[in-house]
Parts: sequence; structure tokens; C-alpha cells
Amino acid sequence: MKRLLPFILILLVLGAALGSAWYMTRSASNQNAPATATPVANGQEQQPAPLTGVPGAEPAYTLGPSTAPAKLEEFGDYQCPPCGLFHPILKQMHQEFGDKLYITFREFPLTPAHQHALAAASAAEAAGLQGKYWEMHDRLYEHQKDWSDQFDVRPIFEGYATDLGLDMNKYKRDVASEVVAQRIFLDGKRGHSLGVKGTPTVFLNGREVPFQSLPAETLRVLIQKEIDNGGK
Amino acid sequence: MKAYITAAVVSLIGLADAIYLTIEHVTGQSVRCTIVAGCSEVLSSPYAVVAGVPLALVGAGAYFGVFSLATLAASGYRIAGTLLTVLVLLMFLVSLWLFYLQAFVIHAFCQFCLLSAAVTTALTVIVLIGVILARKPR
Repeated sequence: MKRLLPFILILLVLGAALGSAWYMTRSASNQNAPATATPVANGQEQQPAPLTGVPGAEPAYTLGPSTAPAKLEEFGDYQCPPCGLFHPILKQMHQEFGDKLYITFREFPLTPAHQHALAAASAAEAAGLQGKYWEMHDRLYEHQKDWSDQFDVRPIFEGYATDLGLDMNKYKRDVASEVVAQRIFLDGKRGHSLGVKGTPTVFLNGREVPFQSLPAETLRVLIQKEIDNGGK
Repeated sequence: MKAYITAAVVSLIGLADAIYLTIEHVTGQSVRCTIVAGCSEVLSSPYAVVAGVPLALVGAGAYFGVFSLATLAASGYRIAGTLLTVLVLLMFLVSLWLFYLQAFVIHAFCQFCLLSAAVTTALTVIVLIGVILARKPR
């Protein structure tokens, strides 16, 4: 028996390792359960109840008509690389689906993990106060690599604001204003109420889209499904 | 003997850490940015995969190897002790390389990867102490 003991211990640890790996994979899959459609016996599709959460900053920055059957809400961080990769996908979806898709972007700067994320969100919000939110939003994502590793991003963002033709005195006041801080805070509060823990987190008609479904080809299918269902 | 038992126990910490990192990698969770900095950058880097296999999975296999060899060595299998020393030294060298990658190439640290490096360092110290003590004349 004593001779067998080390082998029994090794087998026990192997079993525990495989068991915990299986359990963790299963939990992660359940967390990421597809937001849409689980087929049920009668052929109908059963969907989890849409989440509502607390309101974010109002008015939110949106694209498309609010009456569109598919409503997509993204919680993003301008310094997060996957958000930067998702940016052109969202633009593509906006172009493809036009007035059938309503897009809302919510600020979710992951501070202190991303040291410039809050400054970037403030820059976008300050531009928004002059009607140039989406222009600044695009510029921040498209040039993410240019400023992410810089020590001082303020002059870079001011350069973008100048390029966009903003009133620079107002921009500089707004960037540090209570209004902008409050908007970012409210978007964050909404994100937390919806269980957002990372970025990009995307909701489609109130149901979270699994991270693995964010590539254009899978997201397109999910949006089309919502449109076909009339946004129910 | 005591060194081998300690190494077996410590390797379980590394095994748990490596399993967690593997699951994060496989399920895609690691790719999303979170409030904790570093892991997203490190685990989504090209260095996190070797020939299509997540490095964390290779690490889990290595820690399981350490546990098995340390358990066998503690039970008197001398060859297992020799193999354990070789494996742990190899893991230590790989850890140094990965630390270099995080510090100077990826420019981000993942705390779970650092924990793994700490465990491997501890294992190296334990195993080397075991080797030295075994050579000392009683």
C-alpha cells in the first residue's frame, strides 16, 4: 500500500486538476452564454430577459434612430486594445444596417489599469459638448497606438480638438468640468448596474453579446436576428 | 525528503495558477480589458501561444510533472529526484525568459504570470537546497 501511495496521490491531483479545469470552463461558458436564442422543444426561441440597469449619462451619444429594432450599447475604454479593434467593426455594422440599428456608446474607462483612459473619455465628452463627439471618438480609437504609450496625452488630445475645429478655450474648460466628470460617472454607474466588468462589453437589445461573438461575421448574424424578431 | 514534500506542495500553487490562466486563455476572457492591468496584454500577445498550444497549458503540464516527480522522489525513487532537478531548472530558465518578455517586449505584467514565476523560483531554491543537503556528509 505504501508503495502505491505516491501513485494514488498523483492520480488524485490529476483528477482534481482535470475536474477543476472542466468546472471553470463550464462556469465561463455559462457566463458567456449566447445572448440570443436558445432553441426549445416547441420550435420557439427562448431568450434571457433583457437587462435594464440604471440610466447612464443623458442624452447619450448615439447613432441611428432610437426606433430601430436592434439596439446596441457598447461600454468601451479608449485605451483598451480590443476596444480599438472593435471600433471599425461597429462602424461597419452602422454602415451595413443603417436605420435598423441604434448604437449607444458608454464611457467605461478602466482606471487605473489604463492611465490615459479617463483623459481620453473626457476629451470625447468635451468634444461632444461642441457637437463633435463621434469625430473625437473616431480619432481617439483610430490613433490609439499613437497616444497610449505617451507620458502626457493632453497636448495630443488638444491637437485632435484643434483639428476638429473646436473652440479651444471651451474645450479646455470642459475637459476638466464637473459636467464631463458626471457624464463619465453616470455611464460607469450604468455599466456596473449591468454587471460590466471589462471592455468592450456589448449589449444587444439588453442582452450581453459574448465576447467571442464580437467579430463582424458573428455580430452581423446576431443583429440580423434581432431585426428579424422585430427587436422583441 | 522534506525538500521534495515541500516542492510537491508548492507545485500545487503553480498548478492551480496555470490551470486558471489556461481557462482564461481558452475561453477568451483574457482578451477583454479589465480593471486589473496587464493580463489582457500579456495573454493576448503572440508569446502566450507556442505551436498553437497556450503556454499556460504547457505550464500546467510542467507543474503537474513537478508534483509527480517530487512525490515519487519523496517516496524514494532516486531517478525522479534527478529528473525533478532538471525540470525545475528548465522551468526557471523559461520563467526568466517570460519575465524578460513582459518587462521589455510586451511592457505589461500579468500578476498571475508573476505568481507562476515566483512559484518556479521558490521551487528552484527548494530543489537546490535539497540537492545540497543530500550531498552533505552526515
